[in-house]
Amino acid sequence: MSVTEYDVIIIGAGVAGLTAGAFLAGRGFKVALVTSGEPTACLSTGCIDVCSRDHNPLIGIKELPLAHPFHLVPEKMIRESLDNFQTAMMDMGIPYTGAPEENRLVLSALGTFKTSCLVPSTMEAAPQNTKDSIHIISFAGLKDFYPSYIISRRKNTKFSIYDAGVSSTMGIASHFEEKEFLESFIVWLKGQNIDEDKIAFPAVLGLESAAEIVKTIANRVGKPVFEIPTIPPSMPGRRLFNALKDYFRKKSGDIYWAWPVVGIEKAGRLIEAVVTQSEGRPNSLNARAFILATGSFVGGGLTATREAIIENVFNLPVHVPGPRDTWFENDYFSFNHGIGRAGIIVDSSLRPAGTPMENIFVCGGILADTEILKNGCGHGLALATAHAAAQSCMEYIR
Amino acid sequence: MIKADVIIIGGGATGCGIARDLALRGIPHCLIEKGDFAAGATGACHGLLHSGGRYVVTDPIAAKECYDENLILRRIGEKCVEQTGGLFVRLPGDSKRFRELFLRGCEEVGIPTDVISSTKALDLVPNLNPEIEEAIKVPDCSIDPFRLCMLNIRTSQLRDGIIFTRHKVTEIVKSHGRCIGIKATDQATGEVREIRGNIIVNATGAWANMIASLAGCEVPMTLSKGSLVITNHRLTNMVINRLRPPSDGDIVVPNEAVCLAGTTSLAVENPDKIGIESAEVDTIISEAGRMIPHFNNTRIIRAFSGVRPLLKSKKMDSHEISRGFQIIDHTNGMYSIVGGKLTTFRLMAEKMVDTIMASFKLKKACETAEIPLDGQEELSGYPLSKRLADMNDIVCECELVSKKEVQRIINQTGTRNVGDITHRTRLGMGPCQGGFCTFRALGIMNDMSVISPEQSMEMLRGFLQRRFRGIRYALWGDQLREEQLVEYIYLGILAMEKPQ
Repeated sequence: MSVTEYDVIIIGAGVAGLTAGAFLAGRGFKVALVTSGEPTACLSTGCIDVCSRDHNPLIGIKELPLAHPFHLVPEKMIRESLDNFQTAMMDMGIPYTGAPEENRLVLSALGTFKTSCLVPSTMEAAPQNTKDSIHIISFAGLKDFYPSYIISRRKNTKFSIYDAGVSSTMGIASHFEEKEFLESFIVWLKGQNIDEDKIAFPAVLGLESAAEIVKTIANRVGKPVFEIPTIPPSMPGRRLFNALKDYFRKKSGDIYWAWPVVGIEKAGRLIEAVVTQSEGRPNSLNARAFILATGSFVGGGLTATREAIIENVFNLPVHVPGPRDTWFENDYFSFNHGIGRAGIIVDSSLRPAGTPMENIFVCGGILADTEILKNGCGHGLALATAHAAAQSCMEYIR
Repeated sequence: MIKADVIIIGGGATGCGIARDLALRGIPHCLIEKGDFAAGATGACHGLLHSGGRYVVTDPIAAKECYDENLILRRIGEKCVEQTGGLFVRLPGDSKRFRELFLRGCEEVGIPTDVISSTKALDLVPNLNPEIEEAIKVPDCSIDPFRLCMLNIRTSQLRDGIIFTRHKVTEIVKSHGRCIGIKATDQATGEVREIRGNIIVNATGAWANMIASLAGCEVPMTLSKGSLVITNHRLTNMVINRLRPPSDGDIVVPNEAVCLAGTTSLAVENPDKIGIESAEVDTIISEAGRMIPHFNNTRIIRAFSGVRPLLKSKKMDSHEISRGFQIIDHTNGMYSIVGGKLTTFRLMAEKMVDTIMASFKLKKACETAEIPLDGQEELSGYPLSKRLADMNDIVCECELVSKKEVQRIINQTGTRNVGDITHRTRLGMGPCQGGFCTFRALGIMNDMSVISPEQSMEMLRGFLQRRFRGIRYALWGDQLREEQLVEYIYLGILAMEKPQ
């Protein structure tokens, strides 16, 4: 077994893990991040939802139930985490639009409005009302995008279909990265003589250069252009993940990719190492502190059995809303399913409650009482708690 | 106004079987079903074509009927029956006396048995509990109830039978005390149709008393709810029964790529208001797990329940109530046919149509036991090789259903209901339970202008709500994980609002 020594090891490569990692690596600590694979951020819309309970997310946060982990992060730090994120993403070439005091609307693939706070610049021109007429461009064979859903809610909508020669989200997106393809597409688009106020696309306008591509199309056609987030595979989610990953690496963080944690080594009140399943042999990664950012059920941080809910890395105590019957309500659309509150309860320094271990810090979707769907607080909560956990971790190892 | 000699209410196996029998005997008929075919107990059962073994000890008459019909269906419906064979396994502690009664019963009824050692049984079904004492081989089979209904209906359609699905009977029209017709409402458009006939057959299973009451009649029944779970894998290639008196969770049946296990048996009042309890799911899993230990850690993709329309009985435990059937002559032109089993549906239909023929004073004999079911050749028309060739066009990744196939069903049936596509293609029947593909199927229907954009939204909402009813009771492990993803997609990424 080989042994490597770090200041901090982060488990999980989602928005929370990569943000906490960049925070610490940027302050000169030796940081490694281990992950079993791609995070759920890749499946997301790429939008930074902070809190949808009020038009001003910062006020919305104040109205959250007392147990909500947002209350563990001072407002100043929440703002800081959002500012840092915007600066970092600008730096990485995927600028975000928006401000912490104001929610924005993003048009969904069903024609509804999704409330978010910071959105990729490719969604900036999305209508903020039901009046603007839009023209949707869809792509032949694209399985997961049907303009008719949007038309059912917005009567003043028209659509055209372009045959990109491929039909997958990724395939179309990579075509848009090619100059010639983009050029012939723009020629076609101009020929459509679009009368509507705005032009909408499913989010397939490029892999990494979407911001530039959207700008180019808008300039050439002379109309605002925006992307509509699609169901996975989601390009904006993937762009967000890639940018965060590159940013963390730029800050000299190490990433151990596809190395799931299969064990831990402890001594007294300290976790000394996580044992990961690397190619061919177990690999022990030592550190002075550990940040758990493995996400909830989808991310793989938590697993439910018929009898209990288990935290998969450190076997931390999990807050369970009640017996299995209470995990879900009968009404699918209730937004009140008990399971949304399952997770790890932490103290004010983001240390897990109910364990003697002193060098674990927890952030992101694995935290208890988040109710992410109900509160509209996904990636925003990840950014804020990642800052708070990294800050506590830094104070601890100093 | 539509006219037919016989009006059949109910599109379960019994109703569809009656339609086929009438068609083969040349009697004009019309079948009305409020949902899709097999929507009641027919579609909510194990899909087990009983050898009769399950009933030899408690109900030898039903056992004999089952075995006779088992032989007939294997002959006439080979494409919807999988001749899996079945085992009755005896676990340590299970009564040896029951084993003796079972073997004697099978011999008396004429069901062939073969007593095999546990080693031999494990050769046949490697996932079996290695601790079983022995196993008895019987000719149980797996049957696809939905295909069975469709194939029976096919004969009726080929011979000018009139079929209305998604039409709910709201009134029985009477004249001088006799039933002379029905009024039914199209569930999609609200349009009311009136159909006149000489005889009305009430083959509505658990809903029989409700329909009978529309004609001022009564059908004494005991409604017994049975719950089942579906696994993500095919854990056995044979039907596995527990060698003991009928009880909860004692049958596991392989079907296509999955297994069904159940059942429970609980008395209910209203067939439209049945839920499942976590305790039932746990019982089924632990009981099935005694026979197939791997059951305890297998992914369950859904739980569901159906209501057995049993004859009224004083017996408290409905596992003991006779599975026999009865034809009730309401002496006003209406007959109700209740009880019975999926396995004996053809026999029930034969007896019902014999009665009708007698009342019409016609003589033509039943041929349903001799003539193979029409349209079976088409069932093998969508093999895996074809599905893989359409891979780029796959709409449902779990069950490999292509866009072409969805379009073909829409064109063929003119359906406006995504459930109809599911039944005919298995779209949405895999692990994600339609989480991804229903959004697509409705989008395709919309593109084909079969439904309006507004309808597609409404249907998507309805679908998610119905789907959740089934999976809500199987949410732990990977199924919970995938369900959370589906929830993020619809309620998060797609920002679906609460229905009004």
